[in-house]
Order: sequence, then C-alpha cells, then structure tokens
Amino acid sequence: MTPGVEAIRDDGRFGGESGLLQRDLSGAGTGGRTAGHRALRRRTRLLLILFAVSALLGWSLSALARSTIEELKARAVLDDYEANIVFGYNIVMQTNKYAGRYAGSALSCTSCHLQGGTQPDGFPLNVAGVYPKWRAKNGVRNGIGMRIRDCFLYSLNGIMPPEEAPEVLAVAAYVSYLSEGEVVGRPPKGWGVPTLPDTGADPNPPRGQAIYQRECVICHGAKGEGQGPIPPVWGVNSYSAGAGLNNVQKLAGFVWANMPIGNGRSLTHQEALDVAAFINLQYRAFDPREGRLKKLAERIYQRLALIFGKANP
Amino acid sequence: MTVRDLPGVRSLLREIRPDFSWWRSADLRRESVAGFTGALLVIPQAITFAYLAGVAPEYGLYCAVFVALLSSLFGNSPMVGGPNTAVSILLGLTVLPFAGRGSPLFTELVLALSLMVGLIQILIWLLRGAELFRYFSPAAITGIKAGVGVLLITAALEGGLGLSPMTPNFFYEKFYIALVSWQDLVNPYAATVSGVTIAAGLLLKKRWPRSYILGAVLIGTLVGGGIYGLLGPVQSQLELLGHVTLRGLPINLPRLGPQHWLFMEQVVPQAIAIAVLGLAQSLVIARDLKARAVTDLDLHKEVFAQGISNALSPFFSAFAGSGSFNRTSVALEMGARTPASGIVAAFAVVLIAWALGPFLIWLPMPVIAGVMALVGIGMIQGKEISPLLNRVDGPAFLITLLTVMFLSLETGILVAVAVSIGFFVASASRVKLAVSRDGDNEHIVVSGNLFYASLDRLSKQLRSDPTTRTILDIGRVPYCDASALALFESIRRERQLCGGRLDVIAA
Repeated sequence: MTPGVEAIRDDGRFGGESGLLQRDLSGAGTGGRTAGHRALRRRTRLLLILFAVSALLGWSLSALARSTIEELKARAVLDDYEANIVFGYNIVMQTNKYAGRYAGSALSCTSCHLQGGTQPDGFPLNVAGVYPKWRAKNGVRNGIGMRIRDCFLYSLNGIMPPEEAPEVLAVAAYVSYLSEGEVVGRPPKGWGVPTLPDTGADPNPPRGQAIYQRECVICHGAKGEGQGPIPPVWGVNSYSAGAGLNNVQKLAGFVWANMPIGNGRSLTHQEALDVAAFINLQYRAFDPREGRLKKLAERIYQRLALIFGKANP
Repeated sequence: MTVRDLPGVRSLLREIRPDFSWWRSADLRRESVAGFTGALLVIPQAITFAYLAGVAPEYGLYCAVFVALLSSLFGNSPMVGGPNTAVSILLGLTVLPFAGRGSPLFTELVLALSLMVGLIQILIWLLRGAELFRYFSPAAITGIKAGVGVLLITAALEGGLGLSPMTPNFFYEKFYIALVSWQDLVNPYAATVSGVTIAAGLLLKKRWPRSYILGAVLIGTLVGGGIYGLLGPVQSQLELLGHVTLRGLPINLPRLGPQHWLFMEQVVPQAIAIAVLGLAQSLVIARDLKARAVTDLDLHKEVFAQGISNALSPFFSAFAGSGSFNRTSVALEMGARTPASGIVAAFAVVLIAWALGPFLIWLPMPVIAGVMALVGIGMIQGKEISPLLNRVDGPAFLITLLTVMFLSLETGILVAVAVSIGFFVASASRVKLAVSRDGDNEHIVVSGNLFYASLDRLSKQLRSDPTTRTILDIGRVPYCDASALALFESIRRERQLCGGRLDVIAA
C-alpha cells in the first residue's frame, strides 16, 4: 500500500469521496502512482480548507468577542444596542449625571454594584439570564426592567421611572452586555453577595460602631456622609429603608466580601455583622412602599402623643 | 459699488439686523407683566411638548427660553415664539424610526433635525416664501389645528390612564382598547388625577379663559401629590416628572457624525414639512397681529427670525419651535406691543423654572397628560369652525382635518397646501356673467378674471347664437390674458361672417 492510499483511508469519513477513490483504485491496475499523486493533491487541498476554516473561525470568534466599553466609546458609529450599552454604562457609573431625572440619593449604581457591576460577590450585574423571576419584595414576577425600576425607587431612593424610560432600557442593555457568555437560567458566579454562616452570636451594634470608627470612618465619614465618589452609608442621601441593603445579613455579606474597598474579606464574619447592624440602625429615608405623607403624619402624631403624655402611641 | 449697495441685498440686511427701534416706544411695565404671565403659561406647555417630542423636559424649557429670546430679538413683533404642539409632535415622529425614544442618540437627532428645519426656513426666507403663505387658506389651517387637537387628546390617553405606550394604526383604536379592557389596563389613580386636571381646566376656563391651565395643573398636582403621598409610589403606581436640572447656559455643539448625516439625508421631506408648518403658524399669527395691533409688521423679517432662532436652537440644547397662538394672544391682551415682552418672558422662564425646580419633581405625569388633553380641546374651537361650514371652506376644513386624523400630520400639511391652492384657483377662475337684453343688443357684464381656465362659460354664452349683436363689458375684469383676447377675436370674426357683432368695451 502506498502512503497515499493510507492517507486516503484515514480520511475515509468523507464518505462520498472514498467511494470515488475506491473506483479509482480498482479501475487503475498500473495507476498506483497517479492515484498517489492525486491523493496528495487532495490532502493538501483538505489541509488548505481546514486552515481556511480555522482562520475564519478564529477571525469570527475574535469579532464575536465582547468589545470593551472603551472600544465602543471610541467607535464613530454605534448601532442602537451599542449606543444603549454605552448610555447604560454611563448611568451605572454616574447615575446622578446621566439618569438624574429619576435618581434620588447621592448614590450611583456602582456604589453597590461594584466596578460597574463587574465584581463577583459585589452585586455583579451579569444577571440577565436569571430574569424574569418572582421576587418576594413586590410579590410579582419581575422582568429585568421592573428590577431596574425597583432599584431606582428603593436603593437610589428616587422616583420609579416608567417602564419605557430610556434610562431603564439603557441599563437593561448594559446588563445584557455584561451577561454575555453566562448560562441563561443559571445564576452567574459570585451572584449577589455571599451569605455569611451563622456566627453563633447576635449582631452587636455598639461593637459595630467601634469597628466603623476604626475601619470605615476614613472614607465614609463620621456621619456616614461619604465624599466624592465614596457613597454615603446613611442619612437622606443614602439608600432608603426599603432597599435590599437595609437587610443586616445582606449588608454584612457585602461588607465582609468587599470592605474596606480593595481589602475585602479582612473583617471576621462577626465584625461584618456588627458593623452592618450599626449602619442599618442609623436614620435613612422612609421605605417608599409607605406613603411619605402618611408616614410623616404618623411621626408627627407619635411626637405629639409623646409630648401630651399618651401612653403607648 | 459693493454688494452691500445692491437694493435687494440691502433689504435682506435690514431683515437680518435686529431692530431695536421699538425700544423707545415700549411701555416696559406692561410688557414685563405680559412677559411674566407668558412665562408662567409656557412652563407646563414646555414640559408637555418636550414629552411629545420624546426628549427630556429640560429641552422644552430651553426651547421656551432660547427660541423665544432669539425670535424676539430678530423679529419685530410681540409674537411669542417657543415650543409648539404640532412642531413637537412632528419632531418626535420623524426621529422615532431612527433611534430609541428618549435615548441620547434620539436627542441628538432631534437637535440635528431642528438645525435642518431652521436652515430650510432661512432658505424659504431667501426665496421670499412669506408671499406663499398668504395663500394658505384659513380653513386648512383650522383643519390642521383641529387635527392636532385630536392627536393631542389621543396622545394624552396613555399618560392619563396609566397605560403602556401603544402604536395603533388609527387614533380611535386606542380609545377602543382602553374602553374594552379598562379593568386590566387602566390605573385608577392616574385616571383620577388626569380626570381632575381636565375637569378643573374645563371649569376654570369660563372664569379665566387664558390662564386656566395653570389652575388645572395646580389642582391636579395637589390631588396627585396627595394620592402619591398617602399611598406611596408602589401602590399608586403614579409616574412623576422627576428632577429637572436646568443649566445656566446650556451651550451644546450639535453632533454631526456619519449617523446624523445619514439621518438628515433621509428626513428632508419631513424637515420641509416641519419648516412649512412652523412658518405657517407663525405667519398666521403675524397676519392676525397685523390686522389687530401692529401695523408695520414685516412678514419677511418674521420668517427670518423664525429660521435663525430654530437654526441656532440646537446650539442652546433646544429643539425647534414656532410662534404660539395662545401665548401671543395672552401677551396682546396683557398689553404687549413690542418684542420686549418676549425677551422678558425668556428670562422669566429661567427664573420661574429655577424657583419651581424642587416642586416640578412631584408633578405627576397624568397631570401632564391632562394638560395635553386641555391644549387639544382648546385647539378644537367651535367659534373658529362654525363660520367654515359653507360650501367653499367646509370641504377644505374637513379634508385637512380627516387627513391629519387618519393619515398623518405631514400628509395633512401637504394636503392643506394643495387644498389651499386648489380652492384659491377655483375661486380665482369663477366668472360672473350678467346678461341683459336692450332691444336687438345683448349686454353682457363680466366680473372676475378672464384667463385660460375661466373662459368656458363666456365662450359658451357667446357662441350660442352667432347672429346676435353683443356688447361685452369687461370693465370689472382685473386680469385678461392672451387666450381671452384670442377668443374675442375669433368670435368677432365668426359673427362678421354670420351677420352678428361683438363689441368689447370697458365701462
């Protein structure tokens, strides 16, 4: 057997061609040499095709790869989806500047969704694949749009944008962009924040205050007011009492995994729990689920009741 | 002799140059009061019209400031410029196929389109287009206004009832959907707030026919704010306007990238329609003003003022506008006679918007929808429509109205132009013949223009019997073209053969 024939046998998976070759071989008693030549030519052609296909595949893969936001921004022409991604990114990074119409507090999305929503265990935003889903918070199925609108209302302590608001659609586009490559229907790696194991002790706010004074006060300020891009952690400019972070467990997980910024996981679980309890005991805006006028009236009534000495207002 | 000394160029330069000669004769106190009132009126309208154009409310307020200021500076009349219903609707509709409503690209395209509209209007000014608008029939204009009113009421439906945006084929489908499935779709709180706003507006209209919208906004906001405050945003699901952050000097270089050029290339017809519609409204106002208050009004100068203020508007983050019927008439009633009121109004808008800023956040969107509906109802006015119900104006009015309602506003404008021209031609070619017998002689008095299109009846009359002797009196014919003269000549020759006679006299 000539090497050429062997090579052809190797490629026997090309069914149609092998049948053709067999006819060639059987028909040519003296033609072994020509058949070998032909086979060689076939092999080089095959190699060429393989090379071309792989080159094409490599090229298209590199074209398919997600371009960074900087690359998108540098382009002269963006299609609607890309333009929307850039707008969404801008909103996430500087909410008050780009979505000022609906923002309420001094927070930006990236204040909690760290690094523009790209940090695992820091509320990453690559979550397009897990919506729509039912949430206990509002008791209905939430699409990604509803989820974003809720964030404006609760976490940003702002105004709920309408469902067709361009700001909402832009953030949704950015979320889809970040979710590229994630498995649809499965939570991404590092989704939300880690749930801390039971420490066996209750959260202790006074100890939390001491930890706050030691670790957090440099950036977040003695009154939790923040400065510049560093978000306020309580007060009217921070998240409202209806926000997800107002849950001590959740805030503890966030603090443990990410705080102090750049030095995450340096606190113990108990320390994180304590500081979270301290922070969430401070004053902040009302839960928007309750009418503010009603809440204000209740407060005034409680004060008056205290002044006039009614027991148990 | 330089270019400047050419007579045509000199008159153009006079129209370009802002003219401040009104300064000495202006009664500044009355003008200021008028301007301030106008500014109060324009704020809810500016926000509403920005919503119609699909951009953030700031742009509407900038339009109320800068378009008003520029058109008053360059113009020479108390006409108040600024955001305009029809222009805003058309801007939004034109850009809609090219970008997501409200996105940054959408806003850029609206500004690019405004620039285009301004430039087209300047072109119309150079071509002396103001003459053309003289022939715009009032019936067609009223038809467009009523059609825009219907569009506005339809547009108010979604915001007013808290529905999701709909894009039905015809306007009445929205009403049908809202009516049939109101239990699932309608937000009762939104419906209450918009209903209260509209009802308050209609009630207050009798007492304050000009400023009733302000009262309606106030009452609607109180009711809406109360519901929002008591039930909270989650339960009431009321949309609020949100923060309106005005910049002191919103200088903005309109972005003109490849995308924008492609867009501008494709929307030339719509841009022309918007330019014509804006000018048509401004010039109808100007015509009104000329008849009522300001006799030395230069229409060409007003066209230039409109064009330049729209062309410059994108540089101040504003979209295109035009003259405003209702604000101009308020200004006139308050005693405005010069552009001073417009200039005061522009600055007053800044002041009022700045002072109101914190309260505007809580303005419920159903109130805006209510304002839209009220403006729409105000545009369908019985006292303007009822005189049109005759044989000539009625069809023109109805054709334009139905076109705007069922096809589109742009088509409506084209149809209005066509109808105006058509009816003008029809009325111009109407000829009256008064035939009397005086012994053997037939006496015919002609009144009307005699030209190729209007000769039919006369030639029929003259050709009926070639033996008669006819005295044709064309003393009441303002214009007689060559084909009419040829007709006379041929008939005279005919009658000479048959023994008749034709004498043409001008008594």
